[in-house]
Amino acid sequence: MEFDGDALTIDLSMSKEEIKEFEAFVRPRIDYIDRIEIVDGGILKSSALLALLMSLKKTRRELIIPFLEKGVTVSPAYGTIHWICHDKTRTS
Amino acid sequence: MTKQEQVKAIFIEEAGEIIEKLDVDIIRFEENAGNFDLLNEIFRGVHTLKGNANAFGFTRLGEFVHHFEDVLDHYRSTKEEIETHHLELIVSSVDVIKEVMVCELDALPDLPNEYEGCLEGIKSLIASKKGYPSSFETQDSIGSFSDLASEFGLECPEQYENGMLQSIEMMRTAHQAGMQIYRIELTLDSDAYKRGFDHLIFIGLLAEKALSIESFFPLESVPTLENFAEDTNHITKMGIILLTTQALSEVEENFEFLFDHEYSIKPIESSPEPVAVPKREVVVPKTQSAPKASPGSDTSSLNTASKSTIRIDTFKLDELFDSVGELVIAQNFIAQNEKIRLIEDESISRTIETLSKITKRIQDRVMSLRMVAIRDTFDKMKRVVRDTSKKTGKELHLNVLGEETEIDKTMIDSLSDPLIHIIRNAIDHGLEADAQERLNVGKKVEGTITLRAYHKSGSIVISVSDDGRGINKEKVLQKAIERGVITGDENLSDSQIFGLILQPGFSTADTISDLSGRGVGLDVVKTSIEKLRGKIEIESREGEGTTLSMVLPLTLAIIDGMLVQTAGEIYIIPTLSVVESFRPEQEIVHVIKGQGEFVSMRGQHIPIIRLSDVFTLTTDRIEPWEGILVCVETEAGRIAIMVDELVGRQQVVIKPLGKSLAKLREISGGAILGSGDIALILNVDELRPMIEAPHAGN
Repeated sequence: MEFDGDALTIDLSMSKEEIKEFEAFVRPRIDYIDRIEIVDGGILKSSALLALLMSLKKTRRELIIPFLEKGVTVSPAYGTIHWICHDKTRTS
Repeated sequence: MTKQEQVKAIFIEEAGEIIEKLDVDIIRFEENAGNFDLLNEIFRGVHTLKGNANAFGFTRLGEFVHHFEDVLDHYRSTKEEIETHHLELIVSSVDVIKEVMVCELDALPDLPNEYEGCLEGIKSLIASKKGYPSSFETQDSIGSFSDLASEFGLECPEQYENGMLQSIEMMRTAHQAGMQIYRIELTLDSDAYKRGFDHLIFIGLLAEKALSIESFFPLESVPTLENFAEDTNHITKMGIILLTTQALSEVEENFEFLFDHEYSIKPIESSPEPVAVPKREVVVPKTQSAPKASPGSDTSSLNTASKSTIRIDTFKLDELFDSVGELVIAQNFIAQNEKIRLIEDESISRTIETLSKITKRIQDRVMSLRMVAIRDTFDKMKRVVRDTSKKTGKELHLNVLGEETEIDKTMIDSLSDPLIHIIRNAIDHGLEADAQERLNVGKKVEGTITLRAYHKSGSIVISVSDDGRGINKEKVLQKAIERGVITGDENLSDSQIFGLILQPGFSTADTISDLSGRGVGLDVVKTSIEKLRGKIEIESREGEGTTLSMVLPLTLAIIDGMLVQTAGEIYIIPTLSVVESFRPEQEIVHVIKGQGEFVSMRGQHIPIIRLSDVFTLTTDRIEPWEGILVCVETEAGRIAIMVDELVGRQQVVIKPLGKSLAKLREISGGAILGSGDIALILNVDELRPMIEAPHAGN
């Protein structure tokens, strides 16, 4: 996890424990983070991270999370995963 | 090929079909940008394409299509008028999609140059339409996001259901014997994490033995940070569509850590044939209510949509066709067998007659399986016309006639390239250079290109006409002499002069464009059409326009032939080439020293070719006026084939020749006649006159 100014870069391949740490880190700083980027090559390992990212987005709508906006991820281990985290239109 | 590879091949084929349709529909939409039904159709195709792309890791395509879909979704939802430059961006995006698909299939590292620019363009467009930099920032206040719950209540289930249905449809297209599709739905308690459950671990277990798996997470139940707890499961609902070879009981083993009320698993009825085609129809438009999943009704809508068509390997179709060909031969053999004819029994005669009728019906039906309307090919040409019109800056109107005309599928596949070239040529060189030139000769500024398909004397004709300046015969002759194609001494008919433009390296264009004019195209067109056993005819009137027609046989498997006999052997001349047949008067037959026999017809000296000489057949030599001359059109002009007698006209099933006979250029194939005899099909373009006949009057 890297925090550069107002952009936070995280690895998707977080364990439950790392997600817990990430949540603890981001909670008090939510107002200062403008963007959450994902390190290339990582694979989502827990649905808890997806839920947390969605929760962050719902908490601070200005927050930009390109990964979440894609609405879909593909990996050989899980096939295709879509998530529906909708505003007025749709993201998947 | 493994099953997974087969599934992938099917997905790729489908993606190709979607893109092909997209290419056609986007031009139709450009012509009528208020047609939101069409926009909805385009959107559904794009949505499916996104699924296909992502399912197989074509992420670059997936990302582009995802944003493109946003744009389409905006316009179809708002029904807002599309500005011209945005319409142009949408059309360009389809081009990028086509190119990215090629990059993905060939695993090319570099994307097309237009990719980034176009992607930025569509991102900016959607951002400007929504007035925010990202798709989430649409609400006026933070609090209002959670106020969307009611809206989620309306939209999320619909999207979820649509996604699931489309996924089922995709799996159905890939379904083959031994595979099963399952629809799995989880309604999880909030303590699922504490029981060691994780959605992704669960999906991973299923994926281990899946041929394809797609899952859907509705995230509307995830709360803001205030109510978020990392050890609480906030994703209470999840849907999975699974394609596997596992039985239900094997799949159910993965559910042992869940309570019974937390999951449901339903096998989805597969289509009766390996692959059911229509899938776009399955997507439920936003304005309609999505079909609800209820016991026994999962696939009802899908079954309705998929019952009408099935996809069959063309190889199987060819095999079926061959078998029917054999059946026709056997039936003809029975009908024409002298011994059977001698049996004077009414019931046998009636049975043979019935057999004949049934055989004919089967033959017609099997033939019709290969026939497809030319509409799709013509639709693709609309794009060619549009692009060429823009490139050349010529205003034009396209007339399309006879789209319903059916043609052999094998030929359709080979027709696109020649047609594209002819159309480009017609626009680039056929039409006047600019509006002023047209106005000067009293024509409308807007040129007209007419694309037409129709039946003519048992053949299919596909023609491209322009109302441009027509072919300048003098200029063609001059160029042909310059290039040594002709000497200038020949007495050429109009059609022979026009035919010169089909010669390799021939171009009368003063300038070369990237569209045409290099003289390397029309000869290729000619070769392509001849491979299909067709020919090209050109009609032109200077100042009025040109029509280039491709005359093709109805099918590649059957030929309409004139049966002729010489020296006791039967030969078949394709009727497409036959101009006329007659017994000549002695007065019109001549021998020219060193050049052979000729027959004079309407001021033209046509070389006589004795079939018995061509095939070195032993026979009593007769004079041309004692035999029959069949006048045929060939590449090198007309020739008169001399035969002993005409036997008749018949449709014959073409059979390939063995290796030894295949070397004979004068023969293009063989056929089995009703009598069981074998007849050879003549390749009239390869028949050459024998020099100096020993006999002949005058």
